[in-house]
Amino acid sequence: MGKIIAVHSYKGGTGKTSLSVNLAATYARKGKKVCLMDLDFRAPSLHAIFKKQNLDYWLNDYLNGICEIDKVLVDVTNDHGNGGKLLVALANPSTEAIRDMTAKDRKWEMKALGRLLSLRSSILNDLGLDYLILDTSPGLQYSSINAIVTADVVLVVTSLDASDINGSQRMTSELYDLFEKKTGILINKVIADYLSSEAEQKKFNKYIKSLHSLPVLATIPCFCEVLRAAGDFIFTEERPEHPFTETLEELAAKVEKF
Amino acid sequence: MAAYRKLETKSTQLLEKIRENLEQLNEKIDVMIEIQKHGHHELPENLPEALDVMTLLSLPDHLRKTAVALCKLDHATADEVAKQTKRARAVESGYLNQLVIMGYMKKERRGRKAYFFVDKEG
Repeated sequence: MGKIIAVHSYKGGTGKTSLSVNLAATYARKGKKVCLMDLDFRAPSLHAIFKKQNLDYWLNDYLNGICEIDKVLVDVTNDHGNGGKLLVALANPSTEAIRDMTAKDRKWEMKALGRLLSLRSSILNDLGLDYLILDTSPGLQYSSINAIVTADVVLVVTSLDASDINGSQRMTSELYDLFEKKTGILINKVIADYLSSEAEQKKFNKYIKSLHSLPVLATIPCFCEVLRAAGDFIFTEERPEHPFTETLEELAAKVEKF
Repeated sequence: MAAYRKLETKSTQLLEKIRENLEQLNEKIDVMIEIQKHGHHELPENLPEALDVMTLLSLPDHLRKTAVALCKLDHATADEVAKQTKRARAVESGYLNQLVIMGYMKKERRGRKAYFFVDKEG
């Protein structure tokens, strides 16, 4: 039985997309069959990372009821399979499509939730995939809450920024808990000084525990090399020996058992 | 003998009808108990537009659990919802009927079974 993972955050720029892509690539490297979806319809990104521009169908079309999901899925296994299988479903980056998606009413959003919920049967059961990873838009927006309701596991990416911590705490009690979701925190872009020694790390972990009531599944240091990749390539794919890749592998194993 | 068989069929039909009526009565009592328990204050003045996620968030916890389960199942009996929520069938029947009264869901009968669903087109 496959698993649906939603990657969410309170604020933008926390590294949701980078972590979603690298988590998907990590599972593929472990031989898993994975589908990665871009649910950030206001600021689509995956089309740029996977270098796909002129598609006949986008995820927008599936949610609009224009086509079924098989028409939207792009098989990138040849370039990014790494022993497993990787499919992507991309959000339409055109301004017109973004404008269209921001003007949807409540009834449309209700139907979109139904379409997302039926992915469990079409993606996990019919295609026999192991993981469906939903990269969401930040904050309390329809598309991200729809993804959270659909998911089995929610991964909340947060930085150490005070407003981000505060927002994540509020979303825990006012969103994730209300939908009774298995939720884990990923602390991203942690300054290396905080993790420089075992004693520092212990102090840091204690501090994090005082902030979040949810389990912290990963503490990801801020690596200049990852920033330098600038989304031009999938880091864990190109640098399998790097500590970032190691952290992602540990995270993948934790989520598998979560 | 034929007259006896005829009488037997007739009484079976009658008993079946009584059972159906009792089940319907039971459901109505469930609804009344629910309304009495939680009061009319939860019922919106105007019928809601849709059961979208923001509406789900605004529902009280006990009803949200039922509503989310039905969204996942699409079309289901109180029994099927109860299996998903791991609560008693009678409890779910009450909550589902309350959600119908609140205008978030619809109910239809197919034979002896009552099915609940979210009307996405209406």
